[in-house]
Amino acid sequence: MIYDEDIAQQIRMCAACPKMCRHVCPTFLAWRSESPTPHGRALLLHQEITGTRPLDDRAIEVLYQCLECSHCLTWCIPEIDIAEIVEMRRIQLVEEGRFPSGLNPMVDSIRTHHNPYKEPNEKRTSWLKIPKNDGRSLVYFTGCTAAYRENSIAQDAVSVLSSLGYQVNIPEDEWCCGSPLLRTGFVEEALEQARHNVEILNSMDAEEIVVTCPGCYRVLTQDYPKHGLEINKPVRHIAELLQSHLKSLPEFELDGQVTFHDSCHLGRHSGIYEQPREVIERVSKGALVEMERNRDNAMCCGNGAGLRTLFPEHAKKIGAERVRQAERTGAKYLVTSCPFCKNMLESQAKDRLIVLDLPELVEMAKKQSHVKTD
Amino acid sequence: MLDSKTKARIAKQLEGIVGAEHVTTQETDTVLNAHDAWPLSEAKIRAGEMLPLADIVVFPGSTEEVSEVLKIANKNRVPVTPVGGGAGTCGGTLPIYGGMQLDLKRMDKVLEIDHKSMLVRVEAGMVGIDLEEEVNRHGYTLGHTPTSMRASNVGGFLATRSGGSMSSLYGKIEDLTLGLEIVLADGSIVRTKAVPRHSVGPDLRELFIGSEGTLGVITDATLRLFPIPEERRFRSMAFADVHSGLEAIRLIFRADITPSVVRFYDPEDTAWSISRHFDVEEGDSMLLLAFDGDAETVDYEERISVDICRQNGGKDFGDGPSKRWWEHRYDMYYPSKFTTAGFSIGDTIDIVATYDKLENVYRAMKTAMEAHDAFVMSHFSHMYQNGGSIYMIFFTSQPDAKTAWATYKKIWDDGVTACLREGGTMSHQHGVGLSRSTYIEDELGSGFQVLKKIKGVLDPNGIMNPGKLGLGVRE
Repeated sequence: MIYDEDIAQQIRMCAACPKMCRHVCPTFLAWRSESPTPHGRALLLHQEITGTRPLDDRAIEVLYQCLECSHCLTWCIPEIDIAEIVEMRRIQLVEEGRFPSGLNPMVDSIRTHHNPYKEPNEKRTSWLKIPKNDGRSLVYFTGCTAAYRENSIAQDAVSVLSSLGYQVNIPEDEWCCGSPLLRTGFVEEALEQARHNVEILNSMDAEEIVVTCPGCYRVLTQDYPKHGLEINKPVRHIAELLQSHLKSLPEFELDGQVTFHDSCHLGRHSGIYEQPREVIERVSKGALVEMERNRDNAMCCGNGAGLRTLFPEHAKKIGAERVRQAERTGAKYLVTSCPFCKNMLESQAKDRLIVLDLPELVEMAKKQSHVKTD
Repeated sequence: MLDSKTKARIAKQLEGIVGAEHVTTQETDTVLNAHDAWPLSEAKIRAGEMLPLADIVVFPGSTEEVSEVLKIANKNRVPVTPVGGGAGTCGGTLPIYGGMQLDLKRMDKVLEIDHKSMLVRVEAGMVGIDLEEEVNRHGYTLGHTPTSMRASNVGGFLATRSGGSMSSLYGKIEDLTLGLEIVLADGSIVRTKAVPRHSVGPDLRELFIGSEGTLGVITDATLRLFPIPEERRFRSMAFADVHSGLEAIRLIFRADITPSVVRFYDPEDTAWSISRHFDVEEGDSMLLLAFDGDAETVDYEERISVDICRQNGGKDFGDGPSKRWWEHRYDMYYPSKFTTAGFSIGDTIDIVATYDKLENVYRAMKTAMEAHDAFVMSHFSHMYQNGGSIYMIFFTSQPDAKTAWATYKKIWDDGVTACLREGGTMSHQHGVGLSRSTYIEDELGSGFQVLKKIKGVLDPNGIMNPGKLGLGVRE
């Protein structure tokens, strides 16, 4: 693997750091070992660069014990993005055919079914009820998790968008955005999905595209253009769209406080922190209470970059810790704006917290406020 | 190093105690687990050198498991290097004779907070910042804030006899610790009672604080807590010379004032750390002070301290430099392009002396260290009624690894020699580890024989962290 001089210098500095960010690394928390840590990943790469020691199978496994959550970057004064560096090496490992075999089912599923859940693609959105509306036309790119695992997010998103006057259009043949593939190094496979999506999306007649999944958002707005794939309309995350309609959003009295979990892809990777908070503050009439670790210091839910696929028990430990952090606020509701995060957090919260995605909260407010009006 | 058959046999036995997922013999894991914060280790990593590796890393989850692990190690005469956060700056956790690294990171829980007695009982593997944040939630502070706080563990605080940046007021780790649990080399578990003090013979607790894993493994500790102070106020004063600033510090303590922070930067360190942000006259030395407590106490302490500083020629810089230091106190610990370029290496010789010797020690060490092509800057911190510590910080950059490591050694050798000659003690809070192990006999004199005898009784097979603290050094 050949790195440019600047990246090699960053790796060298990180490899010999006295662990200034390790305390926030979720995989350090999950394994309680020096191996899956930012400086650990850097040390393996540095030794490979200097010829001291090549990557063995265990080293490759360690490079896949990373959520690419970039929390370490928040704490790094030299601003070394080890997540990006790890992803660069993963791309090479895939090209070399040296990736963990545990990723094969996910890759095969996306290749065959265009989603990581081995679900038939024709059933992706066939169940969604789309109201007719004369308003502005937008495309809702559902993403795989809302389509197959967190249906109420997709349905509530459609309902909320319709209430705001939008005519919601769903792509007839949406494929996986490619995020799980890109984050684990399978660029070519991801681009196959991407090219199809760009073609479909560009052919649709609408003013903009809205997504509920931050993984999709990052890929559509950052990765596609990086690979020369341009979408011909603006892409917004639903948090941004809802925030732009703040005064039209319903309000209601909740029976407890709400805390918000920033997803890594929406927050640290896309810089969207305030919009979902403003939406929550509006609909809940100021019931938002922050976790100690929030915004660019928010802990990952544990569900990213292939970790749950390869190491499900460790991923759950991370999710459980994030739930504990939410519980510490005394909130009754844990809201996120990511179907993937919601899925993990809800699985760990059991009945201790009510976990909702942002459109679900707004839909709840809508129904409650209607009840009161009636 | 263990032969492969022995390694496999012992690993199997360890798996029976802690579970297979908590034992590793993978080389990658041993490479990553060797990583510590000794500047020489860091420089060697950058240069592409390998650090000494353990044969096995074991992660026990309880004191009982530590005990069983040590029984196996003792029976098989396997070297054991305990490791907590791997944040030591003296090489104390490097497994220089191979064997087993006993990693305490899984033992990371707060066991009890006793609000009435203001105590916390905590497992040794808890990271310092995690513990501080947890007690903060209950309205307390540990009062122990080493710069390594984000990486170092409670066990490491104790094993190295560490001190935090507010140690003048709150105390060092030995002042903050009431009770300990230790597992000896033969697996026996020793608990010292958590009481404010006692007169039941020598204090065994003190024997293990600073023992660096050479006498046993510390598995939990009962530490003091303090209410979070109502106020922390900062003040900064510049002095035309080191002597007058040191006098001011001495007189502040003599007036029975105990600031939480006392840091006095010599002209070189002032130029490096302060003058880039504040307009300080060239050649001046900056004193940073902080006062913790209720408003009335803080008012009084600040007023008396400022008066003393002024009487000794101090120029008032308000709260700026001191507050900025507090807000950026971890920044200097990060690697930078400048400090990691080529074969650069820097380190800190943190020493301690009484006031009558302090300035002589400083000047003698500075001269000795600068003789080896080193940039030396210093600050006096961790000050007390009777003396204090000096951070003798050096930095050198050499054309190749061999010259860099040799120069590093010469600076250490001559710096410590000068310190001892002038009546100082060679380590205030970083411990001994490997970087100071060759000087320990000169430091302790006949006391070292006592330490060796104690080691011989508690660890007759010499398995506990051999080579550290000058004990159990093998040919």
